[in-house]
Amino acid sequence: MSLLEVRELSKTFEVRGRGFGRGVGQLRAVDGVSFDIDAGETLGLVGESGCGKSTLGRAVVRLLEPSGGVVRIGGVAHESDDPRLRRLAQIVFQDPYTSLPPKMRIGRVIAEPLRIHGIVAEGEVSDRVERLMLDVGLKADLAGAYPHELSGGQRQRVGIARALAVEPELIVADEAVSALDVSVQAQILNLLRDLQSRYGIAYLFISHDLGVVRYMSHRIAVMYLGRIVELGPSAEVVKDPLHPYTRGLLASVPTLHTGRPTVRIQAEPPNPVDPPTGCSFHPRCPIARDVCAQDSPPLTEWKSGHWAACHFALDDHGVQSNQNDPGDQS
Amino acid sequence: MTDVLGQLESAPAGSPRPVGWRMLAASPLTMVGLLGVIGILVAALFAPALAPADPGAQDLTNILAPPFWDEDGSSAALLGTDGLGRDVLSRLLYGARNSLVISVAAMLLGASVGLATGLFAGFFGGRVDSVIMRLGDVQLAFPFILLAIAVLGVVPNRSAWHLIIVLGIPGWIIYARVVRSRVLAEKEKDYVAAARAIGASKWRRLFRYVVPSVWQVVPVIALLDVGFLIIMESTLSFLGLGLPPPAATWGGILAEGRRNMVVSTWLPILPGLAIVATVLSINLLGDGIASVFDTNVVRGGFRRIIPKGAGQPALQPADQALLDVRDLGVTFPTRAGSIRAITGVSFDMAHGETLGVVGESGSGKSVTGSAIIQLIDPPGRISSGEIWVEGEDVTRVNDRRMRQLRGRSIGMIFQNPAASLNPVLSVGYQLREGLRSVGVPRREVVSTVRRILTTVGIPDPDRVVRQYPFQLSGGMNQRVMIAMALAARPQLLIADEPTTALDTTTQAQILTELVELTDQQDISLLLITHDIALVSEYADRVLVLYAGKVCEIGPVESVISSPAHPYTKALLESVPRVDATGDRLEPIPGELPDPSIVRTGCPFAPRCRDVMELCHSVDPMLTAIEQGHHAACHLWSEVEVVGS
Repeated sequence: MSLLEVRELSKTFEVRGRGFGRGVGQLRAVDGVSFDIDAGETLGLVGESGCGKSTLGRAVVRLLEPSGGVVRIGGVAHESDDPRLRRLAQIVFQDPYTSLPPKMRIGRVIAEPLRIHGIVAEGEVSDRVERLMLDVGLKADLAGAYPHELSGGQRQRVGIARALAVEPELIVADEAVSALDVSVQAQILNLLRDLQSRYGIAYLFISHDLGVVRYMSHRIAVMYLGRIVELGPSAEVVKDPLHPYTRGLLASVPTLHTGRPTVRIQAEPPNPVDPPTGCSFHPRCPIARDVCAQDSPPLTEWKSGHWAACHFALDDHGVQSNQNDPGDQS
Repeated sequence: MTDVLGQLESAPAGSPRPVGWRMLAASPLTMVGLLGVIGILVAALFAPALAPADPGAQDLTNILAPPFWDEDGSSAALLGTDGLGRDVLSRLLYGARNSLVISVAAMLLGASVGLATGLFAGFFGGRVDSVIMRLGDVQLAFPFILLAIAVLGVVPNRSAWHLIIVLGIPGWIIYARVVRSRVLAEKEKDYVAAARAIGASKWRRLFRYVVPSVWQVVPVIALLDVGFLIIMESTLSFLGLGLPPPAATWGGILAEGRRNMVVSTWLPILPGLAIVATVLSINLLGDGIASVFDTNVVRGGFRRIIPKGAGQPALQPADQALLDVRDLGVTFPTRAGSIRAITGVSFDMAHGETLGVVGESGSGKSVTGSAIIQLIDPPGRISSGEIWVEGEDVTRVNDRRMRQLRGRSIGMIFQNPAASLNPVLSVGYQLREGLRSVGVPRREVVSTVRRILTTVGIPDPDRVVRQYPFQLSGGMNQRVMIAMALAARPQLLIADEPTTALDTTTQAQILTELVELTDQQDISLLLITHDIALVSEYADRVLVLYAGKVCEIGPVESVISSPAHPYTKALLESVPRVDATGDRLEPIPGELPDPSIVRTGCPFAPRCRDVMELCHSVDPMLTAIEQGHHAACHLWSEVEVVGS
């Protein structure tokens, strides 16, 4: 049994049109997503803005109520404000400036979960806070500081310490390093990896940055317009992608090899309120055929442990990748 | 500027913060208000001790005695007596006491009800919110005076409590609305979501997380409210709905004075002055306090500061570079002292070249770009150096010439295109205006708009021109901005993080188009970004900035493959790459430096792997490593010393 089991998870938002009486639309931010995460494993969730990855992350820790489907953690589908759920799964946010209460001292921010769940006796709270701060690489004398007195990297460490305080088994990291400067980002990534090896925490690591996801994850899930379009071991997804969207995404990532990337995906993602028929990627897909506009391809296991939602996941793979391999151009 | 501010916000613990009290004291009007308020408080608190007579004691033998400055006045009753022979000064002092007690109590009632209802309406939303806000609408629609008459005119024994309720209740909705809107903003922030994630209950989230962030809005409103309530209390007393006689109230004295004003003109004037002075003092103090909370006030508008020596003939530099930046320094004066955003930045650009400027927060990369086009955010200013663009030093040309240069010689595109476009004008209108202002003839404007939109990869220009910026995606808006900038055929285009807000697939499309267009038109592109990988793909040369200083400059291939500066090296190693094997990253230890702290030596020394004794004391100079490749690092200056 996996630590986290997500089955057919959906989250729909009502969208109001502008002006009077324009009617109400449905935005399927997450549309029937299923996946597992094992204890101590990192699943990277990558996709572009608006693909639903953050909504999915928040639905997993029940900061959003799913519209459909099940989330089981440790085999149990908890009620949303069940304290047992809060002790199993935590979340680290993107923006280190808004994710800490502005008027609360750092020590108290980290002590809050300890007190709420009575994890240690009141007399031991400050000792435990100090230990958590050391765990995330913060000097204990910062306990008396307010968030605005800390740098972005330090604040993000506080956010991680707060999540660690309940001794969770799963942490959802929602773009946890995206707002940080490059030279600080690597520190936080290494910290998260160290904490995983020390405490066996599983991560759902959400990011738009394929490089970061590749560095952090055992497996990678690629999301497009509310659905997972590819899921597999991270080395395989990056080197041998099955879905044309993943291939396009990889091609567009700037790398240190000089020479320009191949623009493989044209145009921009469609309006999620009014998604295309069939495979939602077909209007931008370089290998789309007639069937793609009609049938939505299911997520299928093409290779062992490597899934893709594409009618032509294997057929065109070799041809396409040889034609447009960035290596050929340089 | 954003770089500098970002750094300021993240200043480490212990850095000095502006003290509110000192700011208050700096404004003379606020001090006048404060003294006035203190005076009224003293009068109200010590009325029994200060009053020369019993305010109710009548002396029918000495009615309507004039004040002391009148020739008939006496020092026995300094401000004279009223129609019943009572001492006016004593009555005014007791009136201050009554007015203030009632107004403050009414304010406290309104503020508490408003704070509570505002909190609940904002935090719980839904039906609670609807009911509270509709009650507020009714409250606002209900004439206050009608309520006052209905209550005060009917109750048999009118007491201070009745007045407090009548005055206090209507005010709640003002507090409730402000508090509610603050709560609505705060409760969506991640820290409240985080509190829920760690298991904090609804009440804990409200009182421990939201309330501490919102309550500060109340005191300022409350202070101004007291001023308003003093006027309302006086109005009620004047109408005979206030404290029943013989209690002394300002409104009551005014009403009495009105009856006798033909003989004793001073009588209505005195309470009137008391009311005006009190309310004015309160408002002055309230405004002063409000401005302390509002820390975003920038004094002085946007003004270019031309250094001394302007107007001298701008001499052509020796070489024929398009852009030649020499020893550029930009400073931002702050309350805590001057912050040097960049120091001694020198580089040049040839015609048609793409130069990538790479740096993190506080590196000065954006400031460098805005200095070239002379659009440094106030209060920043160029403190030293020269910027030669096509043989003209733009730091010295006059404003008129600078306006000509902007757009025509130097173009700029920003990170957030939607913010650079006007939201209420159609894209087509803005493009046409832009083209007209750079001298495209009227007849050709419409066709030029269509042509330039097509060149930046907009598939249906005729539809896009009719749309408004908010109807277009970020990528489309950025294409519009690029089209607009390129239409003026500038020699130099500055692109400040042009794709940072966009998805990678869109980024690849837009940058590829941009670089192709600038190549075709022989435009020099200054590409400012935090992403060194991006620069490696699109630029010819790269300039690496750290803490406002140049670390390294050189051709992209040599800087990427054999970086000379330890910072460049570390930066390249700390970026997780999609094509890497997943080996452990080597992060740069420590934090970015605080720009408000001036230090000697190399700015990177505290985080540098190869740091030497010398680095802490001597600032390294840019040294040539090979043809066109320079680095500012003592590792290389030593090599040179040994070699020579």
